[in-house]
Amino acid sequence: MTLQVLTANRLLDGEVVFWSGDHWVEQFADARRFDAAAPADDALATAKGQPTVLIDPYLIAVADDGSAPVSFRERIRALGPTDHLDLGKQAAGGLAIEAIQHAHGAARSTGRLSLIRRKP
Amino acid sequence: MSLYAYDQIDRDMLADRAAEFRDQVGRRLSGALTEDQFKPLRLMNGLYLQLHAYMLRVAIPYGALDGRQLRALAGIARDFDKGYGHFTTRTNIQFHWIKLKDAPDILDRLAAVDMHAIQTSGNCIRNITADPYAGATAEEVDDPRVWSEAIRQWSTFHPEFTYLPRKFKIAVTASAKDRTAARSHDIGLQVKRNRDGQLGFEVMVGGGMGRTPYIGPTIREFLPARSLLSYLTAILRVYNRLGRRDNIYKARIKILVASTGAEAFARQVEAEWAALDEASIDLPDLELARIRTAFGVVPFETLTERSEAFEAARAADPAFARFARHNLAPHKRPGYAIVNISLKAPGETPGDATAEQMEAVADLAERYGQDDIRVTHAQNLVLPHVKLDDLPVVFAALQRHGLATPNLDLVTDIIACPGLDYCALANARAIPIAQDIARRFEAPDRAETIGELKIKISGCINACGHHHVGHIGILGVDKKGEEFYQLSLGGSGAEDASLAAILGPALSADQVAPAVEALVDVYLDLRAGPAERFLDTYRRLGAAPFKEAVYADAHQA
Repeated sequence: MTLQVLTANRLLDGEVVFWSGDHWVEQFADARRFDAAAPADDALATAKGQPTVLIDPYLIAVADDGSAPVSFRERIRALGPTDHLDLGKQAAGGLAIEAIQHAHGAARSTGRLSLIRRKP
Repeated sequence: MSLYAYDQIDRDMLADRAAEFRDQVGRRLSGALTEDQFKPLRLMNGLYLQLHAYMLRVAIPYGALDGRQLRALAGIARDFDKGYGHFTTRTNIQFHWIKLKDAPDILDRLAAVDMHAIQTSGNCIRNITADPYAGATAEEVDDPRVWSEAIRQWSTFHPEFTYLPRKFKIAVTASAKDRTAARSHDIGLQVKRNRDGQLGFEVMVGGGMGRTPYIGPTIREFLPARSLLSYLTAILRVYNRLGRRDNIYKARIKILVASTGAEAFARQVEAEWAALDEASIDLPDLELARIRTAFGVVPFETLTERSEAFEAARAADPAFARFARHNLAPHKRPGYAIVNISLKAPGETPGDATAEQMEAVADLAERYGQDDIRVTHAQNLVLPHVKLDDLPVVFAALQRHGLATPNLDLVTDIIACPGLDYCALANARAIPIAQDIARRFEAPDRAETIGELKIKISGCINACGHHHVGHIGILGVDKKGEEFYQLSLGGSGAEDASLAAILGPALSADQVAPAVEALVDVYLDLRAGPAERFLDTYRRLGAAPFKEAVYADAHQA
């Protein structure tokens, strides 16, 4: 199946966060890649039960090698604005950031798996 | 002082509002309010959640600021954001890196300088657009800020019009040359005098952009000025009653006006108006006079038309001369000029200003500009009252701060919404497209040769970048998750208002700037002369030569 990552915005400051499998992290590189639907859905359900920590948790599709979100929108969320490369998560630099910056291709712009009608 | 001064009632209201929001944020963070309960409350205070953080949209009523207020915005940019802000096509400012926990402190800071984020979201009457040259241009028959302020006071927290079918935008201009995009608003008002010299308004209703763009038709050629608020009430009552609430895409008044027909809609408004108790709604003469006084006391000096300092600088410095050609406009008083400050330096983000730039403009306004600053719907700033004698010094200061780009209304003076770089609604980025085009036309001689050319870019169909009324409009669309851009030609948001027509299939991001270059080359080849603008050539010749050039080039690329 498509690899998935659980993401949300943090309530207190709006920061984009990802679920590491243990806690919420700010860098996509530190996010857990789910390769099965059941644990991903369980993590999403748990996240939805944290309304004082998160806003709008959802699962996104990730490239087969796990290096970047599939959708362009999610790549911008994982990096920061392209008009200010010194701002946002991309300011940290490094190989993991570069991998997202150089990623190509997309399934859909939101990348929200819950909005895609899956074929049986 | 040329800004409307808040009184104690206004200030108490803002303090109450900020305190109320502090309590609401506290309850949200504690879990006492759910996100569904809290979201409409934060939106009513201009706080949106975007891609990377919260965004706070601060109201700049009819685009007018003083130095103290612009300094406060600079302070917010520095202390609570990442050092910059983004001026919008609604003449507001947005901060894109706001933390929820800081929002109450920011509202306190705003309230301390008579500012707020009221009327920047929700289905209410939003910030009013007025001519940025108000009070400075000889073209106007009256000061549109007086009427804009009256509408602001009447509409703020108006209980009947706080939950309209959809948001509602009003523009007020008093000049024949329209710098407000009046016919793209839900209501456009043009102040006029009739043959008897009586002051009144031409009333246009049902313009708009977004998914279904319309140029607003005139429903009344002349409304006596004193009846403004009762007539607006009648329009809004008809809209509130008959506007659609079942479909968000059909809820704006433009849909109602178009489906009813402008004449029939006008009859409904007239009937509603006839049934109103005008006297209980319209502004008393005394109150109107009080508002008018706030704008009418600019201490202009008596000067001659010609300034030796200005002429000497113009002769000695080609850069100053170019700035004077493009960024100055005539002032109603001898010896003064209106100074346009472009926020469109090639390669920069359209509409962005750093905290340092805001402070520099505040300084200049205080020292040389009667403490008066305007924001334009084209995402630029204006110092409306600068002495010609002071212009060389003002220009030098603007140059030092990267604010002297001499490109007003030229090909590099591009409107762009924040797009997918920031906005949760966007389908594609707008800023990098604007940057690509601006870099391609960076050479000022070439831009000057091309002349007036208004490029407007939106990252989604909501059209915050006004692409429907661009001479060249560019709309970002999502094609299977990739960014594509649809070009439209022939729009205008000025007094010759028109909607742009789609040129052809959407282009990939890297094809857009070359396509714009191809359009410009066709224009330069085919124009009747330098006085014929791009828009005029397009209107004379139609789309065919432009289409051929773009799609031939695009396919070769």
